Amino acid sequence: MSTQEVLGSFILDELAKGRKGKISPQDDLLGEGIIDSLGILQLVAFIEERFNLAIADEDVVIENFQSVDALSTYVDNHLA
Amino acid sequence: MNEVIIIGGGPAGSVMGCYLSMAGIKNVLLEANNHPRAHVGESMVTSSTRVYEEIGFLPTMEKEGFVHKHGASWHDLNGKEAAIWFNEFHQEGINQPYTYHVDRSRLDLLLLKHAQSMGTEVIQGVTVRQVLFDEQGYANGVRAKIADQEIDLHSKLVIDASGRNTIIGRQLGTKKKDPIFNQYAVHAWFENVTRGTEETSEFIHIYFLPVERGWVWQIPINDHITSIGVVAEKEVFQQSKGDVTAYFDKYVHSNPALETAMADAVRINDFKTEGDYSYSMDKFVGDGYMLIGDAARFVDPIFSSGVSIALYSAKYGSQYIQKALEANDFSEAILKPYEVKMRAGVSVWYEFIRLYYKLLPLFTHFIQSKKYRIEVLRLLQGEVYDRQEVAVLAAMREYIETVEKTENHIFRSKLTSIPIDDLPGFSVEEVSKVEKPAA
Repeated sequence: MSTQEVLGSFILDELAKGRKGKISPQDDLLGEGIIDSLGILQLVAFIEERFNLAIADEDVVIENFQSVDALSTYVDNHLA
Repeated sequence: MNEVIIIGGGPAGSVMGCYLSMAGIKNVLLEANNHPRAHVGESMVTSSTRVYEEIGFLPTMEKEGFVHKHGASWHDLNGKEAAIWFNEFHQEGINQPYTYHVDRSRLDLLLLKHAQSMGTEVIQGVTVRQVLFDEQGYANGVRAKIADQEIDLHSKLVIDASGRNTIIGRQLGTKKKDPIFNQYAVHAWFENVTRGTEETSEFIHIYFLPVERGWVWQIPINDHITSIGVVAEKEVFQQSKGDVTAYFDKYVHSNPALETAMADAVRINDFKTEGDYSYSMDKFVGDGYMLIGDAARFVDPIFSSGVSIALYSAKYGSQYIQKALEANDFSEAILKPYEVKMRAGVSVWYEFIRLYYKLLPLFTHFIQSKKYRIEVLRLLQGEVYDRQEVAVLAAMREYIETVEKTENHIFRSKLTSIPIDDLPGFSVEEVSKVEKPAA
């Protein structure tokens, strides 16, 4: 699965409880209330575990978590 | 002549009586009420167990059937829950993975009787009006009211265990309100509260409220009774304009998990209000006297540390009282190390509490992080008296600083206005200069 698919499924299955249907890569996760701040933390924990990646505290910014797209880009950039 | 007079028969006073009696020190305990009497502060942390064991009280705790508290659970405003189990970190000298929730009227009566059984002379229905001082400025007794009479009782040392009455603090003008916290609590007992899953129903549950520093406690008192308390800043409480029932209801409905838990709840006693409970005395010791438990300081009930601090203050305090009696020296100087030790411990709690209130999502994050979970748990178990041992506090503070500095940090808007600058008036270096009393 691509980074995008991994992230997308996790968010849909674990965090976006009650949301029907898919989450598009460009959907505004925070703006549309798909995830909340506690969800962000769970997402960070998931990414760190799943991708074996340490996310710097300063990187927990709106730009990086805006959408599944933005987040995948961030993750892919840091996997190298 | 009595060696020691203890003012107050709550947990601090009774446990002090026990330790002194165990050391062969003649002590009299004066209690204003006639127990049993109700009191707030119904949940404990696991470190209390060590003290109960030392004074031989643990079998009584077990026999009385107090509810076992195996952990704690936090509920945010979106219905998400984060929990910890005390058995995740083994504490030396403690052989049970739980502590207790209690009906204080029962616990306090049992502790008082226990002190009596160990040799403390317990006299109830006696109100201490003031502490007496000799010409050298040493505390040497109390003036007490027994029925209609006022009598003076003398001793070599006076211990203020008067709880939030803070007798000596008020008499000497050393009581200072906390500069940051000014919370009010409204609480009562309920039946038919839906407490949680099978695993967590006897935990303490904390529900966040949509007001700054607002939260609700859910403490199981026994099979059918649950204590529920709404805590918030004084300003928020004052908006209720005296309608306590409406205030309480409003906040019960403001957290979805709490609303569900309370859907069928029936209140079985009157609401009680507690306020002005965040304070500290400038001094915990003086010539001829010592302050223990709430009479010295109280911060905030969020981590159920109050009773534990009371018990440890009695334990450590008794060691210095013993020294004083052996040396026939009742000066502030010989008692001072007790104060240094207690302030170090309370300052750890204080910092933890402030950081907690500063950024709530941070707390659940640290609980869920593999790296810090155990350290947070250690704090919650009430283990720490030395700030240097607690890396997690530094980590929490760093995290908050990062959030503050980072422009678009997601948690920026979640920061509350609590200042987290260095703690006033106390340095960690002082702690290492204090000789450690016997464990």
